Amino acid sequence: MWYLGALVVAVVLNFLLPRLVPGNPVDVIVSSMGSGGVSSGARQKIYEAYMQEFGLNQPLWQQFFSYLGNALHGNLGESFSYYPAPVSGLIGFALPWTLALQIPAILIGWIIGNVIGAIAAYKGGGWDKSVFTGALFLSSMPYYCLSILLLYGLAVGLKWFPVGGSYSLGLSPELTWSFLGDASHYYWLPFLSLVVINIGTQATGMRAMSIYELGSDYVNYSRSLGIGDAKMTRYIFGNAMLPQITGLALSLGTMVGGALVTELVFNYQGMGTLLFNAISSSDYPVIQAVTLIITLAVLLANYVVEVLYGFIDPRIRAAKTGES
Amino acid sequence: MSDTLAPAPDQPKAAGRSALRSLNFTPRFWVSIVLIVLVALFAFVGDMLYPYGSNQRVGSLFDEPTPQHILGTDNFGYDVVALLMASTRNSLYNGLLAGTIATFLGVFIGILAGYIGGWFEEFLMGVTNIVLAIPAIVVLILISVSIQGTNLQFLKGIIGMSLVIGFTSWPWTARSVRAQASSVATREHIDVAKLSGARTFGILLRDVLPYLASYVVMAWVLQVASAILAESTLSMLGLGPSGTASLGVELHWALAFNAVANRAWWAFLPPTAVLTIISFALLYLQSSLDEVFNPRLRRGKKKNLAKAAERRAEAARRLAAEIEAEVAP
Amino acid sequence: MSEKILMRATNVTAVYAGEEGADVPAVDNVTLEVPEGEILGLAGESGCGKSTLGNALAMIANPPLYVLGGQMEIDGQSIGLTTLGKSANARHRPYRGQVVSMLPQGAMNAISPTLRIRRLVCDVVHAHHKDMPRSEILDRASDRLDMLGMPKRVLDQYAHQLSGGMKQRMVTVISTLLDPHLLIADEPTSALDVSSQKQLIEMLLAMVEAKIMRGVIFITHDLPVLSMVTDRLAIMYAGKIVETGRTEDLVHQARHPYTSALLAAVLDPTEATRTKHVLGIPGAPPNLGHPPTGCRFHPRCAFVKPRCSAAEPAFRDEDGHLVACWWAEANPGVTVPVEVNLA
Repeated sequence: MWYLGALVVAVVLNFLLPRLVPGNPVDVIVSSMGSGGVSSGARQKIYEAYMQEFGLNQPLWQQFFSYLGNALHGNLGESFSYYPAPVSGLIGFALPWTLALQIPAILIGWIIGNVIGAIAAYKGGGWDKSVFTGALFLSSMPYYCLSILLLYGLAVGLKWFPVGGSYSLGLSPELTWSFLGDASHYYWLPFLSLVVINIGTQATGMRAMSIYELGSDYVNYSRSLGIGDAKMTRYIFGNAMLPQITGLALSLGTMVGGALVTELVFNYQGMGTLLFNAISSSDYPVIQAVTLIITLAVLLANYVVEVLYGFIDPRIRAAKTGES
Repeated sequence: MSDTLAPAPDQPKAAGRSALRSLNFTPRFWVSIVLIVLVALFAFVGDMLYPYGSNQRVGSLFDEPTPQHILGTDNFGYDVVALLMASTRNSLYNGLLAGTIATFLGVFIGILAGYIGGWFEEFLMGVTNIVLAIPAIVVLILISVSIQGTNLQFLKGIIGMSLVIGFTSWPWTARSVRAQASSVATREHIDVAKLSGARTFGILLRDVLPYLASYVVMAWVLQVASAILAESTLSMLGLGPSGTASLGVELHWALAFNAVANRAWWAFLPPTAVLTIISFALLYLQSSLDEVFNPRLRRGKKKNLAKAAERRAEAARRLAAEIEAEVAP
Repeated sequence: MSEKILMRATNVTAVYAGEEGADVPAVDNVTLEVPEGEILGLAGESGCGKSTLGNALAMIANPPLYVLGGQMEIDGQSIGLTTLGKSANARHRPYRGQVVSMLPQGAMNAISPTLRIRRLVCDVVHAHHKDMPRSEILDRASDRLDMLGMPKRVLDQYAHQLSGGMKQRMVTVISTLLDPHLLIADEPTSALDVSSQKQLIEMLLAMVEAKIMRGVIFITHDLPVLSMVTDRLAIMYAGKIVETGRTEDLVHQARHPYTSALLAAVLDPTEATRTKHVLGIPGAPPNLGHPPTGCRFHPRCAFVKPRCSAAEPAFRDEDGHLVACWWAEANPGVTVPVEVNLA
């Protein structure tokens, strides 16, 4: 329900904000071309052509609807700095790299972090203390700080991994084993820095949830029936996991920002690097498209989590299927 | 504590002190406080003692550390230590300003929604949920990109950034404060206050807010931390404050000049470390405050636990001996 | 004694770890017996230690509760009840659910909300019989449900799909699945409506009849329920048992002023009390951290004498009716006069 509202607001914001800039983007392109000794008349012509091209001479509401219509057809306009390369092509190239990095890092981080958190809460004592401090340390660390440390330590220092990039020079992306093997070499470090921090974040959250569950009646009752520790940890996990799923959905938005900068540190050619380059060259269509895609992806992920949650929590599932 | 030392309850000063003492600040609390104080000293006092300024070019690209410049120079030839002090100071300013704005807005909106309820609450929370669903970083990027295109110099600086971050990151706080406020609003003393004719604003300030005080403090600490991180994320993307230093800006330039690959560790490790320490200390402080305010979460001091266990074992031994003695004759 | 004793617990002492380091004794050197096939009621005001005693006997004391000492003889086995020491939990685990089982106070949330009841049933049996196949466990559980007149489909449901009364009965079935020698029921009826209460009690009685368990300790402050279902009563005050005996003896010939006052305060008005104002017991239960000297009830007792605060009375056995009271000592065989007590 919120997703629809959020979607509308996000699209409007996405459209509106960069257009509030007084000096419009065409000025930027034209002035960057202008250094080549083009006459002012010719420059004026180019300017008008661009205004026409980008539709910037229309009233704002018309621009919005044409923007909306184009976006719905997957047409995100053309990049300023790689003109006339379509933005959708740039995104289509960068997005798979980001997804390949983010989805496993989030899922694996979630699973490992939650298992560690539940065990720490159940065991208590020194184990719990060290896990908690370690996890809190990692979860408070910005992704890119760990990225920088890993890059310097493992790639520059120990030379175990290549220093940045996505694949070796001279190769071009294709779905062959040799290419994937080469890319995986570059993949490990960014993946590691994301996954380690996700583990820390999830473990702190899960530990808190599990401590709360530890005091619940079902734990005491199961104990009074002689049920062993391993089973009980599983019960606790089963219940504490539910709020962790919702928590994951809520924190996706926050995670995205840090993850984008991680790509930057490793010079990994996903959405983060694309965004960075677009920002430094004032490539508004690309900036707009990247932020739009990120918003859509986060909203979609939230929606998927909500649907999944309905299947996982028996209370909601029963209410849906009408069991009573 | 022996009974003779216990403060008499009719001495307000002593009672206040004992209330403070009963909060039981944990070692975790003190560790985080010490870290924060150290960082603050470095940023605010260190600057007065250090011989070089942050906008004083003392060398060239990535000069190695020397006894005069113990962390060498950055890509522009500025002294890294001096720069780091200025950066830390700016990042702290930004965190405090943005965090305070966000907390204030969040608490204000949350309390209002939770206390007044009805359609007003639904409306405010609807807005909050929508804003929450959109990744904050996206909004920040869009606003910052727009600001960069303008000639509003004021908004481009560190204060402008803080305002932008502060005004966009309140929804989290609003949502959790609302939940707490609506539970406080149903308590009896609120009815008493209403019946006695207190104004809504007065009730919110006197009868609702104090119950949320501990929560608000914790939310503020988190907001400060997340504002500092938001600033550095934006700065690393190249949307940082123009013309001033900050930890994110420092990292941005270090990366832009390939400091990592060039092994110029002094250019990127110090800001990384300071950022991590600030962030960790604030989160650690928040989690320790949670323990201070909610004693139920406390899992016992190791030393006391061990002592208590010893005492208990001793009591058990005595008991067994007594039973033995009873049975023997 | 002619009756066979199922369980005898001696010298049980349990403490709660206090805020400021000092431990608060909640159960103080208590000795208790349950005869074979009987239901023993354990009653007292809240905070008297009855639930704590139940937890100690069920071997489920958890920090901040520590059992310092006590020995339980049950079915020829002798079990140390102390929870001090690292191995206590592992030592006690095999007895739980199988030798002594617990029917808990808050059965509403006793079953994990994300678990089908079938799963919990299997887990309970597997905890003690590792290799029993699931099909056999479920067959047994179905038979048990059949026998007790409950629908088999509950096995496939989640706890939230059951009504309060059904949930409590299901928890009772799970607690007794392994035919424990002793069932400790801690306020099992307090959260139920009257008709569910009745159903549960009937089921418990049927289970004792069918010898599913060989003895029950029924903990409650609901004395009408106790006088209905129990064979014996033990009255607890401030961490100690003050009187124990056959239920009808205690109800009609209370020997301890506390028993008498407790009964008068809560029991249905009988011939003797109907015309009197039913009052609460004057005063409040003592602070267990600093219990009164001598007899712990003396500050609230209508029959208090100087010796009551000087020395602790020993148990006096009057034909299986045990009482620890100086007044009873001085007036052998006399029922506590209710009028005086409530004056």
